Amino acid sequence: MSNQTSTVLVDKVTKSFGEFTAVSNLSLEVRAGRIFGLLGPNGAGKTTTIRMIVNITAPDSGAIKIFGRQITPELQDRIGYLPEERGLYKKMKIGDQLRFFAELKNVKGKDAERRVDEWLAKLKLTEWKNKKSMELSKGMQQKIQFITAVLHDPDLLILDEPFSGLDPVNVELLKDIVLELKAAGKTIIFSTHQMEVAERICDDICLLNRSRKILSGSIREVKKSFDRNTVALRFEGDDGVLSDPALVTKVERHADETEVLLAEGASAQTLLRRLVESGAAVSKFEMIEPSLNDIFIAKVTEVA
Amino acid sequence: MNKFLAVVKREYVQRVRSKFFVVMTVLGPVLLLVFTVVPGMLLSKKFGDTRIAVIDQTDGTKLYEAVREALTKRDHNFQGVSASSVAESANSNTKERLEKAGKSMTGSFFVAQAKLDHRSLAEVQAELNQRIGRNELDGYLVIPADILQNSDSKTSYFGRNVNDVFTKEQIEQRLNRAISRQRLIDNGVAERKLDDLSKPVDLIAYPINEKGEQGTKDSGAGFAMVFALAFLIYITVLLYGQVVLGAVVEEKETRIAEILFSSVRSFTLMLGKLIGVSLVALTQMTIWGLAFGALSVWGITVLQQRMGIEELSLPHLPPFFLVYFFLFFALGYFVYATIYLLVGSMVTTTQEGGQVALPIVFMLVAALYMSFPVIRSPNSAFAFWVSMIPFFSPITMLVRIVSQQPPLWQIALSLVIGVVTVVGLLWLAARIYRVGMLMYGKKATIPEVLRWVKQA
Repeated sequence: MSNQTSTVLVDKVTKSFGEFTAVSNLSLEVRAGRIFGLLGPNGAGKTTTIRMIVNITAPDSGAIKIFGRQITPELQDRIGYLPEERGLYKKMKIGDQLRFFAELKNVKGKDAERRVDEWLAKLKLTEWKNKKSMELSKGMQQKIQFITAVLHDPDLLILDEPFSGLDPVNVELLKDIVLELKAAGKTIIFSTHQMEVAERICDDICLLNRSRKILSGSIREVKKSFDRNTVALRFEGDDGVLSDPALVTKVERHADETEVLLAEGASAQTLLRRLVESGAAVSKFEMIEPSLNDIFIAKVTEVA
Repeated sequence: MNKFLAVVKREYVQRVRSKFFVVMTVLGPVLLLVFTVVPGMLLSKKFGDTRIAVIDQTDGTKLYEAVREALTKRDHNFQGVSASSVAESANSNTKERLEKAGKSMTGSFFVAQAKLDHRSLAEVQAELNQRIGRNELDGYLVIPADILQNSDSKTSYFGRNVNDVFTKEQIEQRLNRAISRQRLIDNGVAERKLDDLSKPVDLIAYPINEKGEQGTKDSGAGFAMVFALAFLIYITVLLYGQVVLGAVVEEKETRIAEILFSSVRSFTLMLGKLIGVSLVALTQMTIWGLAFGALSVWGITVLQQRMGIEELSLPHLPPFFLVYFFLFFALGYFVYATIYLLVGSMVTTTQEGGQVALPIVFMLVAALYMSFPVIRSPNSAFAFWVSMIPFFSPITMLVRIVSQQPPLWQIALSLVIGVVTVVGLLWLAARIYRVGMLMYGKKATIPEVLRWVKQA
């Protein structure tokens, strides 16, 4: 393989359902040991892409390689998948249920039993082991579903909207586990349209919209390329400098600070010097990075 | 293989452990009894005697005694007819059913003579009509004077409830016997010889095979077995078809399907479900079978002791036939169970599936009807083709085997076609399930389903 460190390699993949093209000529690479964010609005093709990666459906054209190989049923056992559409057997006891899902990944007997106990303890659900899932709250059920995805210690973990509907405490709990798994060398694909969450935990992202990739790279790179030259200011004194069109193109005044957009070719250094020269007392001067949310909205509306 | 076993185990253990299973296992035989025996008992039930007056206009009212005796005597032919034969008759067609039910009633009549005593017939009838009106009488018969001489002569019955076809049937039969008996006596047949002379002929059938060898007396048990098989397949499909359907729909309703598909192939899943549910069926039927067997053994022992019978002979069947019986039962069950599976793969909820699955049972009934022309000409082209179509072959081929054994290759071919159909249906269901899952929550149309089969 040309790149030993890529866990998932999607190469020029297209998938249509009848007239509708769900994924169009998509290429992406998920590097080993990193958290990869697959982002995009509803209907962008995230779920279809994931389904092709886990071998639920096959691409019409293009190729997908997992761990450097063509996907096989055996390789499926090294993948953990938490789909967005997920549920539990209502009348089955939690312990039996988890053991069943472990068996479907070829984890058997005492080994399965031990892992079930470990994970239940980790997610503070031990006392629910012999309860039927219909007796559990929605949040608890969601944590059980999360366990089904990680029980067999997969090398690649795919989580589709894992935190939706969870309370902040449980979001933190699961987020910590995800980061733990990353530290243990696992590769994680994280699909969501909640940009704040993605921004906090992803190393790399790929933004999909209307079946196409519109942006990809590490979070750092993406933000850099999207630098809009925005500065947040707090100062006392004359603000005449801000009305110079050669320096500033847009001013947004908030309660206690002002956001300005620098003009093309103007640098932040020049702005700061001019402000100081004009006698203003500057108490805050900060370059603002665009949030992933801003980039998302800008990119998606731009294409539309 | 491990994954397949995991699916089988889950389907089996979850179902066998459920309260529903335990309750059904206990209640099943009770319900069966209720649905077969009780209608039969109801059919033959009549409350109280039927009070009948007879106006005999023949010379010297010589018929009255014979008619009274025929109506009131408990005919030995009809004695001891149990509810089970009534239940059996419930399965034949309506006309036959009424006749049989009529026969099996140990109907009790209270008969009195209404003498003319030089009054006119109209006068007597008017009086009897009054008595019927006052509920002192249920009906009366008017026997014309020329009944013994004129074969076209008609007897009339007047009664409160002429819609009681059972009673009417019985009166007619018994009257017939009395009158024809009297006609024979009048024509010079000695009374004491009459019973011997009118004894019905017994026709005993001996089979001859294609080598020209004569077999032993046919007990008719073969056909009984065919209908037992049809009934068994019918009951099993009726009971467990819905369970198979539910098992397939379960993961759609609970939204687990996608998790499963990231771990297990859909064909493995379908096969695992089919086998898991079938094992549940096998367990339940074995329990029922053992209970029934134990009860029969007990019943026979009691009968032997009470009645002093040395040995009760059971219908004799060659062992190869039992092998075919189980093979075709298994085939019939699996063919129909996979159709339910296929339906389950197309629909999104169990209720929806129940509606779509309704016509399946009709196919089974059609197979039973097709067995009638097959019995009459088991080597016809029709019989051949019908016994090759997997939806009918479990019943029609077995009919051919008992009536006139077809060449072995035909039996083998029929079985192979059946097995291939089952596997094919499974494959189709697996495919439809997988593609259908990708379009969650959407009801599938037939053209869509066809497209899905090509896709994926």
